Amino acid sequence: MAAYENKVNRKKQSWIRTIVDSDFAVGWLFALPFLVLWVWWFLYPFLQSFIRSFQDANFASLDQAKFIGFQNYVNILKDHEFYRAVLHSLEIVVIAVPVQTILGLLMAILVNQKIKGKGIFRTVFFIPYITSQIAVTTVFMMLFKQGTFVTKFFGLFGFGNVTWYADTHYALLFVAILFIFQQCGFSMIVYLSALQEVPKDLYEAGQMDGASKWEQFRYITVPYVKPITFFVVSVSTILGFQIYDQIAAISRYGALGSPAGATNTVVTYFYQNGIRYMNIGYGSAAVVLFFFIIMIITFLQKKLLDDKE
Amino acid sequence: MKAKKGIFLFGNYTLIIIVGLLFALPFLYTLYTSFVTMQDVNKIVGISHWTFSNYKTFFTNDAYNVPKWLLNTVIMTGIVIVGNLIINPMAAFALAKLDFAGKKLIYWIVVATMMVPYHMILIPVYVNVAHLGWLNSFAGLTVPFLYQCLYIFMLRQFFISVPNEFIEAARLDGLTKVGAFWRIVYPLAKSPLITMSILAFSGTWNSYLIPSTLTSDPAKYVLVVGLNSVKDMFFENTPLIMAGVVLTTIPILVFFFIFQKQYIEGVSSSGVKG
Repeated sequence: MAAYENKVNRKKQSWIRTIVDSDFAVGWLFALPFLVLWVWWFLYPFLQSFIRSFQDANFASLDQAKFIGFQNYVNILKDHEFYRAVLHSLEIVVIAVPVQTILGLLMAILVNQKIKGKGIFRTVFFIPYITSQIAVTTVFMMLFKQGTFVTKFFGLFGFGNVTWYADTHYALLFVAILFIFQQCGFSMIVYLSALQEVPKDLYEAGQMDGASKWEQFRYITVPYVKPITFFVVSVSTILGFQIYDQIAAISRYGALGSPAGATNTVVTYFYQNGIRYMNIGYGSAAVVLFFFIIMIITFLQKKLLDDKE
Repeated sequence: MKAKKGIFLFGNYTLIIIVGLLFALPFLYTLYTSFVTMQDVNKIVGISHWTFSNYKTFFTNDAYNVPKWLLNTVIMTGIVIVGNLIINPMAAFALAKLDFAGKKLIYWIVVATMMVPYHMILIPVYVNVAHLGWLNSFAGLTVPFLYQCLYIFMLRQFFISVPNEFIEAARLDGLTKVGAFWRIVYPLAKSPLITMSILAFSGTWNSYLIPSTLTSDPAKYVLVVGLNSVKDMFFENTPLIMAGVVLTTIPILVFFFIFQKQYIEGVSSSGVKG
């Protein structure tokens, strides 16, 4: 009797085991935690963003949200603040991306030299990237006040002696500087690993042909790291469009995008409307437009990249 | 042309020191200013004028309690990393080593999600969190972020490189596929899992957008959100704010110096693979 039960047990075990051990069962079992979270915390919100964008929906009365077609989109496209916000986003990217890319490459070349203490410099250049945007913005707000040694120094190059983040002409540039300061450490690290893979004999051959250091840089280094440049440019472009923390920090108690909307971007535009004003429908429509802008830019960059290669 | 040439002269210390000072300056300024009194801001004063009182304020006042914010940050970051250490590798393993109907769809989901900026879903996530009553709670700050498609993608690349023989040998020893994963493959993935944890750590620790959206109660703030509120409240008191910056930045710096090598490797590999 005992032997029989044992046999049944073993049979049952192996039957369970076959199911549990099948690729199908294990595959779905392993993907399940991810899929459950994804459906609830990505797919559903993603669809909601589109659905709400066609509704007159307020956070306080979401049950009574009603379908209003494209009205939110029409209102946004009629709002000249939105165009200003798009322009500001583009301005940040156009200023910050080339500067941080060039600076990243320059710093990578500097710490790739055969010199003492290059590890320390690498760390110094990289640390801004790992500190929080809020901390860096806070420090820079103290540094870029009217009359400090930093604003006076910039004054030598023709910049006004003003409190940068509170000045409508300088605030956006201030945000771009913050982004550059933190992002170029990342670009440096990415470039550095590429520089270390440039074959040494390329430079030796260049020297034999009498190429100057600048020519070696121009005709050996730059072409060699070209794929990395595309990566660095596309990553920082996308991140540049998503800047939020720095602007939130300089806006303090005022509306996002202070002073007087000078740093209002597509991101702060949707955040101000959707979350601060709780106008879920209007904010969602702005988010959808933001999404399409990002998609168009990603597409254009991909196209450019494919053409160049 | 001559000036440009100079930049690329190897062994040139001048430029690296200038750029280095430029980058170190904000940090040195912060550290220095955090030790002086308000009258001495932007002046150079001797060590006898220095004071710890700026730092003391953060440990004695309940309204802006840095130890409490630190604890909140540690809990939030800890939960997110543990979740990512379990959920991502499981999904990645399924995509890399198992053959089942629906796998292509899941892979497509991972890749497509990676490309969507989080802003896109922020408003509905906020609404969901609010409806669940999760505002100002660790649940709201962590549950939506327990997985990350980028890391699933990274880990999948690694698992593909693990030879099938390891899994077959484990199965000959009587392990199921589940057992083979947890006992054999998972420990093999130590290095990509460390990389993932480091990236997840700094991303979560420094995040402002999400915690500032989902918390409004100062007792539930994380360090970064708390720092921003301190900055707004005491804007004229530069030394106090600088002490706040130092206190909120020290933990991530300590973390960085411990894991510097893996950290930099992680960042550069994300670039090479990209």
